[in-house]
Amino acid sequence: MFDFAIAGVQAPIFLLVLVGLTVGIVGGFIGVGGGYMVTPALIVFGFPGYMASGIDMTHIAGKGLVSTVRHRQLGNIDWTLALSMIAGTMLGVELGVRLLVYFKHLGISGVVLLVTSVAVMFTLFLYTQFETSRAHKKMEEMEKAGEKLGRELQTSSLPTYFQALPLAPIVNCRTARVIVSMWVIVLVGMVTGVLAGFLGVGGGFIRVPALVYVVGASTHIAVGTDLVEIVVSGAYGALRHSIEGNVDLMAVLFMITGAMIGAQVGSIATSYVRGPAIRYILSYSLILATLGAALRLIYVLTGQNVEWLSLAAVVLTLGEMIFLCLFISSLVWFAVRRRAGKWVPDWVAPLVV
Amino acid sequence: MKWFLNSMLGYWVLLLAISLGAAAIIYEIWLKGRV
Repeated sequence: MFDFAIAGVQAPIFLLVLVGLTVGIVGGFIGVGGGYMVTPALIVFGFPGYMASGIDMTHIAGKGLVSTVRHRQLGNIDWTLALSMIAGTMLGVELGVRLLVYFKHLGISGVVLLVTSVAVMFTLFLYTQFETSRAHKKMEEMEKAGEKLGRELQTSSLPTYFQALPLAPIVNCRTARVIVSMWVIVLVGMVTGVLAGFLGVGGGFIRVPALVYVVGASTHIAVGTDLVEIVVSGAYGALRHSIEGNVDLMAVLFMITGAMIGAQVGSIATSYVRGPAIRYILSYSLILATLGAALRLIYVLTGQNVEWLSLAAVVLTLGEMIFLCLFISSLVWFAVRRRAGKWVPDWVAPLVV
Repeated sequence: MKWFLNSMLGYWVLLLAISLGAAAIIYEIWLKGRV
């Protein structure tokens, strides 16, 4: 146990390092900050809500930077796309925060937040899971037919529609190999920003699918490019929280020790898999986070009387982080085995490089 | 046991069971009474 004087909390150091490590791996792999996992975990460890949010945001800024540097080395960042989106994201976040304040005045912010979280995450899960399963099936057929598989395959027709919109200025995103109206990129940033600002999260789990299914970027590029947004929003959030005194630097230090290693492992792991594998992990992350939010919603709606619901939400939050890490690590392990000519399950073969 | 490896759903179930078990152990040892 370590005495965190600023937060006024005693918590086990290794759990903080473990949370940093696991969320670092997941964040580097699917391009999210992981706030929807870290903040509830820190609250479970005894940190007050505002302190949990501040510590989370500060560690996200540092971890995001490490992941971004790694993804840049892997060639996964489209700077045109990233910089075009930032303005829309910032405007969207501001609108989202104002929307939240409006609901707070009405006295229903808690329930509205949880209902919106469940609805948004579940819809994204359904679409991502449905599309990725279709792509996976197609890749399995190609593999059986002996055709050469690329690093990416996605079956959604939405990007074709959005890329055909003739609204000037048209931007050529060279790394992403996408030519699309600047307005589409700004709008994607703004809509995902509104949701992020409203839900109080970084918004990576909304932006990555949006970059893939609306803009038409490959999953690897979507992950790397989104991390640039995460660094910008994380740094701003860390500054704001620090000014407000919501950050316990010792807690951040322990978390970031694990996160620095995890972020590198997660980022490098993307080079062992094909696009659909990353989208699968993203969809699993979404459904588990949806279940966690649904449990908290039921707990709130039942007047916070059913204790096992609270316990189930705690176990699910911790279990989700461990599950995602195990899945990512095992995919890398299967990829290494496949490269060595050893046996891997049939369903894994099309997902790994 | 084979189903847990050869089917994606089976593998999902296996990893989820291990993860939730590990989370429950962490809760029992370090977090019980603090939540």
